[in-house]
Parts: sequence; C-alpha cells; structure tokens
Amino acid sequence: MAEEESQLEEFEQIDFLRDRHVRFFQRTLQVLPERYASLETTRLTVMFFAVSGLDVLDALDVIDRNNMIEWIYSLQVLPTEDQSNLSRCGFRGSSHIGIPYSVKGPGVLHPYDSGHVAMTYTGLTSLLILGDDLSRVNKQACLAGLKALQLEDGSFCAVPEGSENDIRFIYCAACICYMLDDWSGMDIQKAIEYIRGSMSYDNGFGQGAGLESHGGWTFCAIASLCLMGRLEEALSQRELDRIRRWCIMRQQSGFHGRPNKPVDTCYSFWVGATLELLDVFQYTNYEKNRNYILSTQDRLVGGFAKWPDSHPDPLHAYLGLCGLSLIGEPNLRKVHPALNITQRAFQHLQQLQQTWRDNAGTCT
Amino acid sequence: MFYRDRKEWADLEPVPQDDGPNPVVKIAYSEKFSDVYDYFRALLKKDERSDRAFALTAEAIELNAANYTVWHYRRVLLQALQKDLREEMRYITDIIEEQPKNYQVWHHRRMVVEWLNDPSEELEFIADILSQDAKNYHAWQHRQWVIQEYKLWDNELEFVEKLLEEDVRNNSVWNQRHFVISHTTGYSSPAILDREVQYCLNQIRKAPHNESAWNYLKGILQDRGMSSHPGLLEQVLELKETHCSPYLLAFLVDCYEDALENNNQKETLNRALEVCEYLAQEKDTIRKEYWLFLQRSLESRFGPSFDPTVNYCAVYY
Repeated sequence: MAEEESQLEEFEQIDFLRDRHVRFFQRTLQVLPERYASLETTRLTVMFFAVSGLDVLDALDVIDRNNMIEWIYSLQVLPTEDQSNLSRCGFRGSSHIGIPYSVKGPGVLHPYDSGHVAMTYTGLTSLLILGDDLSRVNKQACLAGLKALQLEDGSFCAVPEGSENDIRFIYCAACICYMLDDWSGMDIQKAIEYIRGSMSYDNGFGQGAGLESHGGWTFCAIASLCLMGRLEEALSQRELDRIRRWCIMRQQSGFHGRPNKPVDTCYSFWVGATLELLDVFQYTNYEKNRNYILSTQDRLVGGFAKWPDSHPDPLHAYLGLCGLSLIGEPNLRKVHPALNITQRAFQHLQQLQQTWRDNAGTCT
Repeated sequence: MFYRDRKEWADLEPVPQDDGPNPVVKIAYSEKFSDVYDYFRALLKKDERSDRAFALTAEAIELNAANYTVWHYRRVLLQALQKDLREEMRYITDIIEEQPKNYQVWHHRRMVVEWLNDPSEELEFIADILSQDAKNYHAWQHRQWVIQEYKLWDNELEFVEKLLEEDVRNNSVWNQRHFVISHTTGYSSPAILDREVQYCLNQIRKAPHNESAWNYLKGILQDRGMSSHPGLLEQVLELKETHCSPYLLAFLVDCYEDALENNNQKETLNRALEVCEYLAQEKDTIRKEYWLFLQRSLESRFGPSFDPTVNYCAVYY
C-alpha cells in the first residue's frame, strides 16, 4: 500500500501541467504588477518569451495575433524624412521614451530615440512566430542600425548611445542577419575573431576575452557560428571536442552555467541547445534533466523558476519549456536550437525567404 | 509631492507612455511612478540640460535602475553641467552595493572611472562586492577591465590566493588566476608551469572533488602536451587510489589520448578504454552515454582496423 501511494506521489510531482503554463503566458502578455518595473525597457523580450512559449505549447490560438503584431510594429524606429537617423534604426523595447503610438513612417525625430539590438532580434522573431510576413519591417534601416553597433574588436553594443559590449549582442546581431537573410549588417570575420578570443583555457566561452566560461555565453558563441554557417571553419575538430566536453560536464541533474555553481532551469536550454548543435545532446541523461526541470515547475501559477520552490518568471518558464522540448517531451513543438524559435516558425521564415529570393529574381 | 503639482515644473508638459489601443506586457505603475517618468520623458524630449533634470534622474533611477536611457541622459548631464565626478563615484558606489547584478550600474561606474582616469578605489570596492558574492560575474568583469586598462597586476595573484584559501572551489577565482598569470609571467617557462601544476595537485589533495582545479590543470597543459609533463601521469595515477573523482579519470583519458596521438600503442589505448568504461559504469554514470561514445571514438581513431580488402600477406613480400 505504502509503495503504491509513493508511486502516485511521484507521478504527481513529475507531471507536466500544460494548461497552467498556457495561462501563465497569457497573464504575462496582459498586465504585470509594478514590482516588474525593471523589465520596462525589455518588455519586447518578455513578449517573445510568452509568445514563443505559447508556440512551443501549440497554444497560439489563445491570443489575438493581429493586435500583438500592431504593437510590435509601433516599436519600430523608422527613418525620419531626411533619413538622418538611419544608424539609430531598429526596434525599441517599449514605449518608455514617450514617442506617440504609430505603426507607420516616417520616423519621428527625437534626441534619444533609438533601437536596441536585443529588441530588434526579439521583435523580428516575435513577428515571425505570430505569422507576420515582415513586409512592414524596414530591413535596410535595421541593418544600418545594426552595423553602427559593431566595434573594432568585432563585438556589438546594444544601443548607438553606447553600452557595454559583449558576445550576447553578437548573438542578437547574428539572429537579425540570419532572419533578414542579409549579412551586410555585420563584419563576420571580426565577429568570429571576438568569439574565438572569448574561448577560455577550460574550453567554454566567456562574455569576452579572459572572462570566466559560462553556459549562456557558450550558447551565444556556438549558436552564432552555426547561424553564420562558420562553425567548422572557425573551430577545429579538436576544439569542438573540447567544447563538447566542457558543455557535457555541466549536467549535474539539470544543468548549471559554470563549474561549482548550482543548477538552474534555464541552462537546460542554453547548454542543452549547444550540445544539440554539437551533435552530442543525445549522450546526456534525459531523465535526470527532465526531473530537475519539472521540480522547478510552479504547480499553482504555472511557469518554471530557476530553482525548486522559487518564484517563476517568463524567462525561466520559456527556457524550461525549451529544455523539455529538446528531450522530446510529448506535445511540445520542436525548437530550432540556434535561432530559439519553434521549427514551425522556422519553416515560416524559410518560406518567406524563398519568396524574397523569388521576388528579387523577377524584379528588374 | 507629485511633479505635476510643483510650480517650478509648471512650464513642462508631462509626456505619458503611449502603447496604443492594445498594449502588451503592460506594467501597472502607481501614480507616483508614472508622475516621475512622465516628467522624465518631457525633459528627454526637450533634451533639457539643467540641475532639476539631473535631480530627477536620481529619482527615476531609484524607481528603475535598469532603464539605460535614464543612465545615458544622466551622463549627458554630468558632462554638460560639469558635475562633481567624485560625488558621482560615491553615488554609483551606493547603487551598486544595493543592486550588484545590474548591467547599467557597472557600465556607468566604468564611464565615470574613465572620465576621472582614476582607478584607485576600484580594487578595494570590487573586493567588497565580492565579499558579498564571490562569483558575481559583473564584479569580476569590471575587475579585469580595471586591471588590464590601468596595469594593476602587481597584487592580483596574492588576491587570488587569498580567495582560493577561502573557497578552493570558486571557479571565478581559478579563472582570475589564469588571467593574471597569462598576462604577466605567462606559462612558457618550465619553472612557472611546474609551479602551477604542483599548486593544482596540492589543491586537489585538499579537495579532490573540484572540477575547477582539474579544468585549470588540463587548461594549462592541453596545448603543451599533457602526457609529456615529467612525472605528472605517475602523480595522477597515485592520486587515483586515494583522491579519485570523475575529473581525475577524465584527465587520465585526456593524457592517454595525447599519448596516443604521438605514439599509438595498444597498451595505452586499452588503458584509455578501461577508464572510459569505469567512468560510464561506475564513477560518472550521469554521462554514461558520453563516455561510451568517447570510448567508441578512441577505438575508431587508434584501434586496429581489420580491412578485408588488404592482403596482409602481400605487404611482407
């Protein structure tokens, strides 16, 4: 009797509560309380977590896609009449600067309005996920804005006014160029040099040269090289094997981001996706990984947290789902490990890009 | 008192946020929050350069220290109004102590240090932040920037040793050790390399289950020939009896692989395959499939390959 009971308990602990997660993302897309104020300038990334999360759950039908698409376009920094702000174009994270709502150009001249590379990246991915054809994106302006952010050492800043520069923004830039099918927005060779320079003595990647290797930056490095189509050109077989070893050693139950640090749900994606890109994710322990991710599931409000018995948040909710998708959890859509969108959204992108190429051929 | 009710601000028209008819991920701000930011947006639009603007940025930061536009505008004002940068250092010190994991505050501090061209407070300040969280990535990043930019290498190895005494498993400190040595003496001299190898082995004797120490050891040897460092393999095999760990065994596999690349011997291969088996079945079972994969890979690269199309007899005549 006792054995039966504890088996039932075990099953309850580890079952996946799909409907709770759907509702968690729905609530995220609506209104958040003031204690989330620090997310204001990155609201578009929060939208991406929720929208892509719903896509992974195959639940996009619960939201109003068209209204969301309009909101995203209202965040586009478009060229002004005289095109003097091209190097500042892209997408904003939110309306925090106070530009009046508008989904079309020309852009409004404002001394402090500019795009942010992570918002341009998540704006484009969110549009794709919602089924948009990107026809209202000023691609040339986005690429001009992107180009202005790359530094001599190959890394990128986030905004033209200046910010910290590191490998995260190389990843954002690579995603933007990949989606727009146009690499004129970055100097690939310099970016590769920066990425190589970020490889640590222990064969993981840090945020920049000399810095401690870390699961998130390792994902940015490898995923960027994959998107550029330069993985095997940039790294030797010996180096790739050493990177595989560094990554696979991150599994403790779930995964951690650095040696001797605690595990955290989000690394099930950052490290898991990297291992998948390197063809060795199949050699990880799926059961222990799954058990850890589900131990961080919030059974009441939905979503996932970094640790068990902690508050869930949109980032961990989304990446927890992606982590489960990588191990083939039933009823979850497959995720493209480099671009971090569902394979379904990726196919939509491929079809779009084919249309662009066809049109370019016939337009003379 | 709200800004909208202050007469000294009556000349400004507050600018609300405008998300249009269907806002997404909307944050529900209190009246006080909206009031401060509506006036921030108004100042921004005019690009006003004034003391009242400067004062307001501090309030805006207190409500949301992650708003990079507020920090940028504050820097513009610091320069335009020629504000006291020493006072700004005190200000940013307080903010970082409260919010040490925020990107914007560290970037701001870096800008002020650059303007002052004075890093003299940095190492002590960062040490204080690290005393509260010894693995804070921002703190280590800022520390490396300061040291490299202003050539403050002299006491850093001592700092590293002190922190390793406090926690020999702190991976950030091992990374810093590599950072300091590679930028000062380097690892080329046999004396330094041997010193570092012995240092690692000593730390491993004290705390065997420490991936950081093993990663460092492998890291400094992997491009210099792991199997060629005199006496190392013997020391590791000795440690295997009393201080075994998955990291020690993985290091052994890597030593054998290095040896095989220079001199493919059946005995060496067998030892490597045995250790992989031991890791897969007993000592690192979570990575069982990986160790078996590595075993197959070594077998394929270095094992005898019987090719039925070759007439082996013909080779000898």
